[in-house]
Amino acid sequence: MSARILLVEDDTQIGDYIARGLDEEGFVVDRADNGRDGLFMATDSQFDVVVLDRMLPAMDGLSLLKAMRAAQVDTPVLMLSALGSTDDRVSGLTAGADDYLGKPFSFAELLARVQALVRRRTGPSKVQDTTIRCGELELDRLTRVVRRAARKIALQPREFRLLEYLMLHQGEVVTRTMLLEAVWDYHFDPGTNVIDVHISRLRRKIDDGEQTVLFHTVRGAGYRLAAD
Amino acid sequence: MPSTKPLTGNPRRLSPTMLWLVAAVFVLQLLSSAAAIFFLRGQMLEVVRADRMRQVLDVRDDLLATYLQGGRPSLAQMIVRQQGSAADPTVFIALTGGQIPLLSNLAKAPALDIAPRPRPVMVHLGSDIPDIEGMAIAGQLSDGERLIVGVMGATESRFNLAFATAAGLTILVAVALATASALLLGFEISRRTHAIAETAAQFALGNFGARLTDTRSGDGFDHLRLQMNRMAERIDRLVSELSSVSASLAHDLRSPVARLSAAIDTALDKVEEPAALEALQAARENADGLRQMLDTALEITRLEGGAVTDRRLPIDLARVAEDMAELYEPLAEQSGVLLVTRLDPVVVVADRELVSRAIANLIDNALKYGARRVELSTSAGIVTSPAITPGLAPAAMAEIAVLDDGPGIAAEDRDRAIERFVRLDNARTLPGGGLGLAMVQAVARLHGGELVLSDGPGRGNRGLLATLRLPR
Repeated sequence: MSARILLVEDDTQIGDYIARGLDEEGFVVDRADNGRDGLFMATDSQFDVVVLDRMLPAMDGLSLLKAMRAAQVDTPVLMLSALGSTDDRVSGLTAGADDYLGKPFSFAELLARVQALVRRRTGPSKVQDTTIRCGELELDRLTRVVRRAARKIALQPREFRLLEYLMLHQGEVVTRTMLLEAVWDYHFDPGTNVIDVHISRLRRKIDDGEQTVLFHTVRGAGYRLAAD
Repeated sequence: MPSTKPLTGNPRRLSPTMLWLVAAVFVLQLLSSAAAIFFLRGQMLEVVRADRMRQVLDVRDDLLATYLQGGRPSLAQMIVRQQGSAADPTVFIALTGGQIPLLSNLAKAPALDIAPRPRPVMVHLGSDIPDIEGMAIAGQLSDGERLIVGVMGATESRFNLAFATAAGLTILVAVALATASALLLGFEISRRTHAIAETAAQFALGNFGARLTDTRSGDGFDHLRLQMNRMAERIDRLVSELSSVSASLAHDLRSPVARLSAAIDTALDKVEEPAALEALQAARENADGLRQMLDTALEITRLEGGAVTDRRLPIDLARVAEDMAELYEPLAEQSGVLLVTRLDPVVVVADRELVSRAIANLIDNALKYGARRVELSTSAGIVTSPAITPGLAPAAMAEIAVLDDGPGIAAEDRDRAIERFVRLDNARTLPGGGLGLAMVQAVARLHGGELVLSDGPGRGNRGLLATLRLPR
C-alpha cells in the first residue's frame, strides 16, 4: 500500500517531522509550503489524503479547502490547526474537511487519522454488511447480538457502539479522541484515562479467558482491534 | 489576596453612619437658629428699651412744661385728672415731697433716686395686684418736690416669654426642615455612593470593563468617579497584559512540547529495554499532561476574552449530564466511587461542547479529590445573585450541581480554588494542572452564568457542592 499524501504545511520543522514519519510508514509524501501551490497540486493530481494546515501564506487552509471542494475534488482532507479548539474544528468540518487535528498533536494521532482516511477511500466498503466479523468475534448491527465463537456477549448500548466502531476500523489504530468523537459525539480531550477504562471493561468481556486477544494497545496512540 | 466577597442581600439604605450624619446636620441647624433667635431677642430688647426711655422722657418733659407754665396747681391737676400725656394708662406718675403725695396709676410711690436717665423699677399698683416692672425717672422740681415719671411694661420677662414661644415654634419648624433636608441629603449621598459601589462590585466580579458614568458636575463625587475610573483603567490594562503574556507563553510553549512528544515517540520506537521503555512512557504521559494544560490555559484565555464563535443552541442539560455521567461511570467505579445522578430535564441555550467539558471537569475534580460518592444533578431554579443579575432581580437559571463527600474546600480558599494554576495545598500531590475549575468558571461567565462552590449539605458540612448556573 503506497498511498499518496499531499502535505500542505508552511512550517518546515513540523512539515519535516510529519513527512519523515509518514515516509517511514510507507506513504508517498508530496509537499507544498503555501496555499496557492497546495491548491494547484490538490486539483492537478490524485492524492489519497490531503493533510492541510489551517494557517498558510498566500491562501489560508480554509479557503483552499473551499476552492478544492468547489472544483469537485473530493480527496479526504485532514486539517491541522495551531488554534486547536472545538471552534476551529467545527468551521473546518463545515468547510468540507473530513477530519481535524489540533496542534500540537502526537504523530501517532496524525498517523491513525491519516490511515483511517486512506482506508475509507481505498478499502472495501464495510458498511453494507449487517454482520461485522473480526476473527471469531461477530457483531450483528441489526439484532445487536455479539458473539465470540459460541459465546454470546451481553453489552451495554455504549459498549456495543464502542465495539462496533472498533470493528468497523479493525486493523487500524484508533485514538482515544477519535473514540470520544465517534462513540460519544463530544470533542474534547478527556485527559484522564476515561476512555481507557471503557476499553478495558469491553476488553474483559471480549478477551477474558480466550486463547487469542483481539484488543491491542498501541503505545502512545490508542487501540487496535485485530484478529491477527 | 483580594477577596471578592459578593454582596449579600440588599445594601442597607440607612446605616448608623448615615444616621449620625443626619443627626449632626440637624443639631447644627438647631444651634444656628437658636443663636439667631438669641441675637434677635437682644436687638429687639434694646430697641424696645430705648423706645420706653424716650416715652418716659417725653411724658416727663410734658409734665415739666405744664409745671413751668401753670405752676404746681396745673401739674397737680394734670396728675390727678390724668390729662394729656398722663392719660396713658401705662404711664404712672408720683409727685412727692408735699403734704400728700400725688399719685397717678400707683398705690405707692416707687423708691427711686434722682438720675438723669430712666431706670427699671417695680410698680406697686395695689395690695391685691402683684408688682409689675416698669421704667421711671426721678427729678427734683424747683419747689423741692420730687417728680417720678414712669411707664409700665414687663419688658424683659414678656420679651423672654414671647421669644420662648418664638424659639419653640422655630425649633419645631427647624426640626421638621432639618430632618427633611438631612434625610434628603442622606439619601442623595447614599444613592450616589451605592451607584459607585455597584460599579465597583461589578468590577470585583470580573467585569473589568465596568466604568462609572461621568456627570461632569465637578463635585467630590465626580472626583471620586474620575479616580475610580482611572484605577479601573489601570487594573484592566494590567490584567489584560498579564493574560496576554500568559496566553502567548502558553502558545509558544506548545511547539517545544510537541517536539518533545515526537522525540519521545521516536525513542519509544527504538528502545527495547523495559526500564527505559517505562521511563519513556512516563515522560510521554507527562508531556501529554503538559500539552493538555497549555491547551486548556489557552482555551480559558479565549473563553474569557469572549473570542469564540457563538454556537449556542437549545440543549437539554440532563442529556449532556447523562452522557458525561455515562462517560465517567467506569472511571468512578474503578476508583471505588459511587457516581449517582438525579437529572431533571432543563433546556438552556448553550454551547454543548463547552458545557460538556465543564461538566466533565466538575466530575473529574470530584473524583480526584477524595470522594466516595459523587452526585450529579440538573435542575431548574430561580436564583438571585449579584454575578448574574446586578439589580438583584431573581433570574431563571438552570443548575448543574456536582456534590461530593470528599474533604471539601475551606470557605476562605474557594475563590482561589477557581483561579488558574492554583491548587490548594492538600491537592498538590495529585495530578492535574489546577485548571479544571477555572475552565468551568470561564464557561459559566461566557454564558452569563456563574460557578459557585459551597459546603455539602448535612453531616458537618463535609464535601463540596459545585454548582454551575446557566441562564435559562
